[in-house]
Amino acid sequence: MVEYPEIDRYSSLDSVMHRFDPRAKLIAFLILIFSIVLLQDLKLALIGLLGAILFLIASKLPLRFVLQHIKWVCFFIVPFILIMPFSVHGTGIFHFHGLTLTYEGLEYGILVAVRALAAVIIVLPMIATTRFDITIKALGELKMPNMLVQMFMFTYRYIFVFVIEFQRTWRAMVARGFQMKTNLYALRTIGKALGTFFIRSYERGDRVYQALRARGYTVKPKTLVEFKMRASDYVWTVVIIGFAVSLHVVPFVEVT
Amino acid sequence: MREAITVRDLSYKYPDGTKALEDVNMEVHEGERIAIVGPNGAGKTTLMLHLNGTFRCMEGEVELFGKTVSKLKRAEIVKEIGMVFQDPDDQLFMPTLFDDIAFGPINQGLKGDEVRERVDKAIMSLGLSGYEDRAPHRLSFGEKKKASLAAVMAMEPRILVLDEPTANLDPYSRTELIGILNELNDREGITMVIATHDVNAIPELADRIYALNRRIIETGTPREIFFDGELLKQNKLDVPDVFKLFDVMRCFGFNCDKLPLSLDEAVSGLTRVIETAGGHIHLHIHEHTHDEVKKWREKYEHH
Repeated sequence: MVEYPEIDRYSSLDSVMHRFDPRAKLIAFLILIFSIVLLQDLKLALIGLLGAILFLIASKLPLRFVLQHIKWVCFFIVPFILIMPFSVHGTGIFHFHGLTLTYEGLEYGILVAVRALAAVIIVLPMIATTRFDITIKALGELKMPNMLVQMFMFTYRYIFVFVIEFQRTWRAMVARGFQMKTNLYALRTIGKALGTFFIRSYERGDRVYQALRARGYTVKPKTLVEFKMRASDYVWTVVIIGFAVSLHVVPFVEVT
Repeated sequence: MREAITVRDLSYKYPDGTKALEDVNMEVHEGERIAIVGPNGAGKTTLMLHLNGTFRCMEGEVELFGKTVSKLKRAEIVKEIGMVFQDPDDQLFMPTLFDDIAFGPINQGLKGDEVRERVDKAIMSLGLSGYEDRAPHRLSFGEKKKASLAAVMAMEPRILVLDEPTANLDPYSRTELIGILNELNDREGITMVIATHDVNAIPELADRIYALNRRIIETGTPREIFFDGELLKQNKLDVPDVFKLFDVMRCFGFNCDKLPLSLDEAVSGLTRVIETAGGHIHLHIHEHTHDEVKKWREKYEHH
């Protein structure tokens, strides 16, 4: 059985986030993401992270699924926490072989990591609670350029075909004794396999275009979709955008 | 009967100069079921892609119901002719089955309710109810084939062109698909052009065969084509298994004047022979039997 990289695997669950109108959900959460990544204060960023976790809990997505997706992002976040404390000038906390760990660097490293983590966590209730094809249609409804919507749509459809094709190629290589090692022969073989894979993809692209034309493709494909905003959608939109705005407005009000 | 497809002196070369088609002439009547047979590289798919205007005619012309394809707009062509591709993954390009089936009718300019009606009808007639929101990668190969057909049927074309419709299908799905195609032809009078290597399906699927090997080699009913041993040999074509079986039984003394092309014909033929021979059939082995079996083998061993 093929394991597909499906971000919308749990889109059929029932939660307030699942019932949230996809268009409003996209707009509200995108505003929240921008709001959090623009924060300069660690305390506020932690509040943003807490808010992101609450929205994630409200989405009822399984913890294992969440961790599975977050772990890859952590690989990119961890280096910030490790490098920033040594590369930002400020009050020294610790000296090690000519390297100085600074308070400001540590704070900045944690700030970057918290902002990134919060943004990634928000992506899950935003994307994973709606079937991906509906998310794409919602983007179309939000007047995203048609060419981009088509690219998303066809990429989403054919990524699964390519996964199967690549697995088939890989199995055929292994069946003929190929072993993945870190030597030039292995790299060369993988390079050749990828080359063949790209040529096959190009040929498939040609055939798909023929099939599109055979069904009257006019460069502007439309889909039938009906979105309807309910009272609860307006409430959630106001709550999320309100939270995003307050992260920037409240500290300003407190100071003045 | 009115001509649905007319192909006149059609020739085509690939960009590298390889000749794919040479002076192809073909006539398909409305409601007729045509099989195009030929070895790999004979130009079957290329010919089909000319029928729906995907490939522009370099030499010669193609007409659909008397109208020249090269002069028709794409919208007019897709209204007349629908094509089901060999690999359903090439054809199911939308994220869900509903979107895919709705794709053609939307392009035809139909309104929402009308599109939904067409989609529902196609889904019902192909037995795909409940699969509307399913992503194509979640369908079995047989379901994908049916979905490809549904996507074309929703456009309600008068001509259906199918490239290897039974290839890679399990026996159940194959039989089911043959039944669906024949029902479409019976019920809606759809003209069908089918490129296939599946010789066992041809007697059930086609009224007439065009043998193609870059040029049209021969045309005739399945019986006429399958009886032409020389033609089969020269063009690496095969005959149905049941036909071969009854042919070899002749070597053992089975008296069969009309070789069957399908199992149904075999059953009725066998019943007739047994009834006329007093309730049994007689098979024997004589000295000459082995020579005849050898000749029989030579007749079909050209693959």
